[in-house]
Amino acid sequence: MANLIRRATRLPLPGKIGLALVLFWIVIAVIGPWIAPYPPGSFVNEEVFAGSSRAYWLGSDFLGRDVLSRLVSGARFTVGLSAIAVTIAASIGTGLALTAAVGPRWLDELLSRAMDTLISIPSKIFALVLVAAFGSSMALLTLIIAITYIPGNFRIARSLAVGLAKLDYVEVARARGEGRLHLAVVEILPNILKPLFADIGLRFVFIVLLLSGLSFLGLGLQPPDADLGSLVRENTSGLAEGALAIIAPAAAIASLTVGVNLLIDAATQGKAE
Amino acid sequence: MLSRRLLLGSLAAGVALAPAERLIGKPRRGGRIRVAGIVASTSDTLDPARAGNSSDFMRMFLLYSGLMQYDRGLAVKPGLAESVESTDNVVWTIRLRRGVQFHNGKSLDASDVVHSLLRHRDPAVGSKVKAVAEQFASARRVNAHEVELRLTGPNPDLPIILAQPQFVIVENGRREFSKANGTGPFMLKAFAPGIRTIVQRNPNYWKPGQPYLDEIEVIAIPDELSRVNALLSGDVQMCIAVSPGSVKRVRASSSHLVMETKSGLYTDLVMRQDNPVTGHPDFILAMKHLMDRNLIKRALFRGFATVANDQPISPLDPNFNAEIPQRSFDPHMAKFLLKRSGLLGTRLPVYVSPAATQSVDMGSILQEHAAQIGLNLAINRVPSDGYWSTHWMKHPLTFGNINQRPTTDMMFSLFFKSGATENEAGWNSPRFDKLLIEARQSRDPVLRKAIYGEMQWMIHRTGGLGIPVFISLLDGYDRRIRGLEPIPFGGLMGYTFGENVWLEA
Amino acid sequence: MSGAPSVSAWRGPIRLVGKRIGLALITLLLVSAVVFTISGLLPGDAAQEVLGQGATPEQVAALRHEMGLDRPAAVRYFEWLAAIAAGDPGNSIVANKPVADIISERLPNTLTLAGLTTVFAVPFAFLVGIWSAVTRGRATDRSLNIMTLAMVALPEFLVATIAVMVFSVKLLWLPSITIVPQDPTLGEFLRAYALPVMVLGVGVIAQLSRMIRAAIIAELDRPYVEMARLKGVSQARLIVRHVLPNAVGPIANAMALSLSYLFGGAIIVETIFSYPGLASLMVNAVTSRDMPLLQACAMIFCAAYLLLVLIADTVAILANPRLRQG
Repeated sequence: MANLIRRATRLPLPGKIGLALVLFWIVIAVIGPWIAPYPPGSFVNEEVFAGSSRAYWLGSDFLGRDVLSRLVSGARFTVGLSAIAVTIAASIGTGLALTAAVGPRWLDELLSRAMDTLISIPSKIFALVLVAAFGSSMALLTLIIAITYIPGNFRIARSLAVGLAKLDYVEVARARGEGRLHLAVVEILPNILKPLFADIGLRFVFIVLLLSGLSFLGLGLQPPDADLGSLVRENTSGLAEGALAIIAPAAAIASLTVGVNLLIDAATQGKAE
Repeated sequence: MLSRRLLLGSLAAGVALAPAERLIGKPRRGGRIRVAGIVASTSDTLDPARAGNSSDFMRMFLLYSGLMQYDRGLAVKPGLAESVESTDNVVWTIRLRRGVQFHNGKSLDASDVVHSLLRHRDPAVGSKVKAVAEQFASARRVNAHEVELRLTGPNPDLPIILAQPQFVIVENGRREFSKANGTGPFMLKAFAPGIRTIVQRNPNYWKPGQPYLDEIEVIAIPDELSRVNALLSGDVQMCIAVSPGSVKRVRASSSHLVMETKSGLYTDLVMRQDNPVTGHPDFILAMKHLMDRNLIKRALFRGFATVANDQPISPLDPNFNAEIPQRSFDPHMAKFLLKRSGLLGTRLPVYVSPAATQSVDMGSILQEHAAQIGLNLAINRVPSDGYWSTHWMKHPLTFGNINQRPTTDMMFSLFFKSGATENEAGWNSPRFDKLLIEARQSRDPVLRKAIYGEMQWMIHRTGGLGIPVFISLLDGYDRRIRGLEPIPFGGLMGYTFGENVWLEA
Repeated sequence: MSGAPSVSAWRGPIRLVGKRIGLALITLLLVSAVVFTISGLLPGDAAQEVLGQGATPEQVAALRHEMGLDRPAAVRYFEWLAAIAAGDPGNSIVANKPVADIISERLPNTLTLAGLTTVFAVPFAFLVGIWSAVTRGRATDRSLNIMTLAMVALPEFLVATIAVMVFSVKLLWLPSITIVPQDPTLGEFLRAYALPVMVLGVGVIAQLSRMIRAAIIAELDRPYVEMARLKGVSQARLIVRHVLPNAVGPIANAMALSLSYLFGGAIIVETIFSYPGLASLMVNAVTSRDMPLLQACAMIFCAAYLLLVLIADTVAILANPRLRQG
């Protein structure tokens, strides 16, 4: 813990900003339900797209619901769902990639074929078909998104790992008679972590954005639940009048995605500087 | 200076947002416009029998003509037929207008009409109106300008049926529709399904002087925001289905207007009466009391709707029963009813879909109010595609979306007669069925209105439908476009704008 | 590093590339099976979608028979597979015309949009990525970094909508929907495509430039770079002659991923700009349950992706002397 704090204080300024943003959204996601002034689904304001006021800090949305309350609840869905999905995708993707890199040739081929099959189907259309077939629940949505991002992570990780596996030092280790697990976890994984983290950061961002893209196509969470992207989508009619109902969730998405990236950039480069 | 009466007249119609502009000017020939509809797909068709969506309907009325045509209100007027008459409502004589030519120069003949009407009965044609056409027992060419149409039973509404877009006239023997040869105001210039339809003026159109425009291009922009943006940026001059939330934006533009068409369109909560929970009279009544009609009208439709009373006949219909007291939003009553029937605390899924206009948000509103009194409704939003075939009416609680039908009889026979395919709630009342036939056979309009009034009472009281509002149709258009009038059968004059509008210089 | 390769040195790579092509074809086959299986899970079918809301069961059954939908799935699959192997994707059951005709109307649109976006975005991404890498940690890098971050910070549909509101509705500079006139002048052509290319390009640039930056930085940390620097090799020469060739594997991979997005991923841009491309055609095929069309589109997306990956792999093989020998 102390080590982590020391590391955090050594981050360059953008990294600190990123960390602050990420922590902020994690906190909001966790305590959201307790700080929301109103239930996110209730119609509290007669006026739609109302501006900021003392009772409604961020005004009201297209149905007269409290934007602040919906925002904190949306942040919870977006952060939670994306984090779970990216974790699943990266663990499975990188795990398979390492297996492919150190495993027998046929396994590599098999995995690569399976991943190519998956990835070659465009993600949004893949999601569209699956949602049309199985309906849209939160678990399914997370799963679809995770599956969508496994192959991408796999390809990057495999490309990095295979490159390393052919390098002399790995071959030396191989010649030493190290097991495959050792090769994967000790020799290769630490050396591909940095570019992988950059990839995972971007992938988290893309998951947040894919989620909102799916909301645009009507495939997002079931109402009254709404992720940040759905909040933007459902309030687009307020865009022309510059309603807070659309600006607030858009700003939330932007600060979340930028924050994650700043943090990961700083963390992966920290030592080099 | 406009006369006071003229101005009042158009205000009383209550439909034009800018009545003064529309009264100015004489039709002018020439010009080209682009119109944006909401649907385009590879199933776009030039075959009247298969026309199934608003873009198809526009195409039909641009390229073909019907025997009868939509008029203002819920009325129809003669089209290719000079008259459609019957003494017993069973055997009808259709007299055709003379001197009408198809686009390829062929003259309109009674045999074309016989073919056009009877082809809908052939299952291989896949006609959308096969069920309607099944009442055509036979059609016979009497001479070049006269057809005798025999029905399987009396139906006073035949002239209105003949005005529907699927019943427009094609030439005799035509089975293949990659091209269109009609008698309509425009001729086909280019047709790419899912992309665009371009039509050009038919110089030999049977209405002298019409149409006014040289060319019309119909495209589709399914996304509402994009559609309105295209209108405001001048990429299209007219678009259908402006959402209520966008009206303010369009009106704020100095060069665009919105036309509101009051209609009988409604999105309704369907409670299946064959299910023990949703069929329970207390449950049905409770749900009707849980509908916050004013919130729906205000928030979802921004006032572009008329509060409805859980029965399908809108105030536009001359048979509307205005004496039924308005049902109010009353959560306490709803809670009492649910408690009495022991259904409080039940968990029920409600199926909503963008396919049924605004049903997603209506569902959210209903869910929120239900949650407050302890009824747990789970919203299940499903995609538009497949909604009608796999969800609508198939679960205990779904949302339907019913368009204005031309007559009271049609509304009742299609959606409430026991055993009708689209009897949404599974409403089954022998007395209702008996009244329906009585009304059809009656020749006294006053008596018929009384019977229809009684039937509206019955649905209002015990029907498994929550009908919160009647939805107005909103079309956006460039200020230079003149001649638009509201016709409640659909947007853009019931899709017949083509021959009626002109472009001011 | 190695001298001019002899003929025998090329035998390995050619065999490798040949093998990749074979594997790509196997993947294509797998995709067809996957797509066919998934599409079979869709509720409803073309007959119901054609007839719509008010269809009777008898009508549906009659039309289903006419469309040949009542035969077993396996029969339909192998028939279709045989036909497509012979180059005929069959007839669209909804539009009642050859799938090839429908696709040939749309494919050029997709290729045009993807091509223009590539031409616009890839050089930009390289410029940003390399520049950012060589100024790592300095002000230039940071501002470029913030720029690319901002580019992907917002959902695509919002970026597109804001772009339309600003450039089309407010300023009236650019069309809000992409309709290319017949025989356009170059100006008209570019004007029509400006907004969708910009929106799509933004995502590609952001993603690609960051991957390029990461790949180059990974190389810059290698000992040989330090050695070259000590020998006095200039920065530009170092990047072009030493770093890029070594980083080409991951970069080629990243490019394949980014560019394949321009096919199926363009769905939101196609929707907002009402642009008749392949992605919206495929969504359309999903919604109308037009299986031959759906499968044909899926095969095209898959083939496009596999082709891009094949090229990336080939480049990586040729660039990496070790892989070349393997």
